[in-house]
Amino acid sequence: MSGGTRLRAEPVALIAAGAVTPLGADLDAFWSGLVTGSDGISMIERFPVDDLRVGRGGEIKKLRPLPYTRHTGCRATQLLLAAAQDLLARAVISAVPERVAVVLGTALGGVEQLERALARGGRPRHAAGALYDSPAHALAHRLGARGPVLTVGTACAAGATALGIGADLLRADAADVVIAGGYDGLCRFVMRGFDALRSLTRERVRPFDRRRSGLLLGEAAALVLMTRDDGKGGPKLGRLLGHASASDGSHIAAPDPNGRGLEFAVRAALDEAAVTPADVDFVSAHGTGTPLNDRIEAEVLRRTLGRRASAIPVNSIKGALGHSMGAAAALEAIMCLLASREGVVPHTLGLEEPDPACDLDHVVGSPRATRPRVSLSTSLGFGGCNAALVLEGAET
Amino acid sequence: MTVSLESRSAAAGPANPTPPMGTTVEAVAVLTGWGHGIRALPADAARAAAGRAVIPLFRPVLEGERFRRATRECLLGVAAVDALLRESDIARDMIRGSATALIYVTGAAYGASNQAFIVAESMRQARTEGGLSETRPGSVVAESMRQARTEGGLTEKRAGSVASSGTLHFPYTAPSAMAGEVAIEFGLTGPYGILIGGAAATIDALWQATRLLAGGRCERALVLAVETFEECAALYARGRWLVRRPLVEAAACALLVPGALRARYDAPRTPSTLETLARVRAGETLACAPLIALALARDGGAAGSVSVTGEWRGRRAGLHWQ
Repeated sequence: MSGGTRLRAEPVALIAAGAVTPLGADLDAFWSGLVTGSDGISMIERFPVDDLRVGRGGEIKKLRPLPYTRHTGCRATQLLLAAAQDLLARAVISAVPERVAVVLGTALGGVEQLERALARGGRPRHAAGALYDSPAHALAHRLGARGPVLTVGTACAAGATALGIGADLLRADAADVVIAGGYDGLCRFVMRGFDALRSLTRERVRPFDRRRSGLLLGEAAALVLMTRDDGKGGPKLGRLLGHASASDGSHIAAPDPNGRGLEFAVRAALDEAAVTPADVDFVSAHGTGTPLNDRIEAEVLRRTLGRRASAIPVNSIKGALGHSMGAAAALEAIMCLLASREGVVPHTLGLEEPDPACDLDHVVGSPRATRPRVSLSTSLGFGGCNAALVLEGAET
Repeated sequence: MTVSLESRSAAAGPANPTPPMGTTVEAVAVLTGWGHGIRALPADAARAAAGRAVIPLFRPVLEGERFRRATRECLLGVAAVDALLRESDIARDMIRGSATALIYVTGAAYGASNQAFIVAESMRQARTEGGLSETRPGSVVAESMRQARTEGGLTEKRAGSVASSGTLHFPYTAPSAMAGEVAIEFGLTGPYGILIGGAAATIDALWQATRLLAGGRCERALVLAVETFEECAALYARGRWLVRRPLVEAAACALLVPGALRARYDAPRTPSTLETLARVRAGETLACAPLIALALARDGGAAGSVSVTGEWRGRRAGLHWQ
């Protein structure tokens, strides 16, 4: 990156996480599903898909009924509130409401509400719910958070950018606690759109595999509780060391053929974190399973990590969950920290024959016993959005 | 909550003891339903609206095959950045590359493309099931047609055109498409952000821009906001408790560069003078409001301290250059 003098960012503590995914209703189910190789992909049942080329995805079949979600028909909000319930079971928010911020990434917001608003009988609350920032405000209301409420719209990279902005809010002392993450629900709107683009595979998702033929969508919500790192060493998942987002300036719906935006983001995130490729122990790749994304991403990782690229374990969790869009990067960040804590890197479900064009140290077939300290997580999205996070697991 | 951004950045540690930079607003361009620039704003938007709920902005005519499918909000974003460069006599090459950050904000500009896609998809389904004439009462198609006839919302002609091509436009339903088109047009490959929300989100975006500059992560930053309302006028009529009137379509862009002024980010309870002035002069422009306020400040000769605030959904944010 060209630019003036840069400042190394203060690390930020990630205290706890909560999630709801196609692998299960909480963080434990998410992690155990990943390491046991569970497949979260199924036929979609919540809305009609029989006229689509592909009707499968990472659908969450059962959401625990929560009393305060009874009156919201918004799937995205329901997912978020379920993830928040999981988070609050693991951590306590100890700050005055005005110092609690909410920063969420999403690709779709509450768009499903727009369809309800447009049909006869659509109510004003449906119209308001269709605004993409409505679920974030619903979560803030539920948490009693009265600090900044931000919704990040960098498509499928939004979860990463949300964590980065959350860290900036803490560094700037604009909040004492940040609930950050991402979410997106499966709905007909997005299924039809990706189906029409022929992006969805009729086979299984195979990130970095020579037979890969496309992605499948999934739904999820993932949240982390962030605070400034006071160095006191209390219980925490780990630290966010660096973040960067960058634009391709290349194409609306496809990644830059040279991956220049992703490369910029990776280099800038490593720089902000003050780590070198030699420090990176694990890469959580975006790894959608589309022919173009995986090749470009592998090339960028080889360029940015240099000789170390062939020695750093790389995985993608999209084979297990599908592409959960706005939630994806937040889930992947959490997975990195859990891998550090548990001493295991989950394997890439669906990857059996690594593509030589994606030559990296893929975790294939079964989880790998290793305890990464520093992880790099990469994300890409529609509109030429790219983001990278550098995370450090808590010392065990 | 009032804390100096710079004081926190200065505490970034001994790795780099260089003092953080201040920032300054180098240029602002504004397009609204009232016309080009803030000189086109009426003294009182509510009175000038004369009962109209929406004051629409034109669809810019931009050359090139690439713009054939682009939505109106995409074209407005490109037009706003282009206006900024022209009015400030800045060459396109000056902002091209990775040294320029782009942060885009909108509260609702994606609404038109989302609605068009849903209606198109419903029409496709209706055709599959036996033709539009037999559309189920109460369906999205039937309701859209009814609104087209009675409320001046989505016109039948427009609905027909999106029905025939809607799925090709799916990528344009994402808010990131707007920023993507701007990045492509101007060759912006640097730091990137997209925030969804009204005026408070634009304050957040301006704050992000000052952080990127202060941290040396870019040499200049564009903060761009676009709002369109016309296509979703019927929805806003139902959600009038959420947004004020008149709704005025707008596209606005500010260029921030390193400078002498320190930026302070906070959460004031009351609107700044500029926030009130921007609302009176321009009407409800959601995310564009703080940028219009900055333009008004510059037009008024404010070269030193400037305070802009913005409110959305009960939350007010402020940024103060001193």
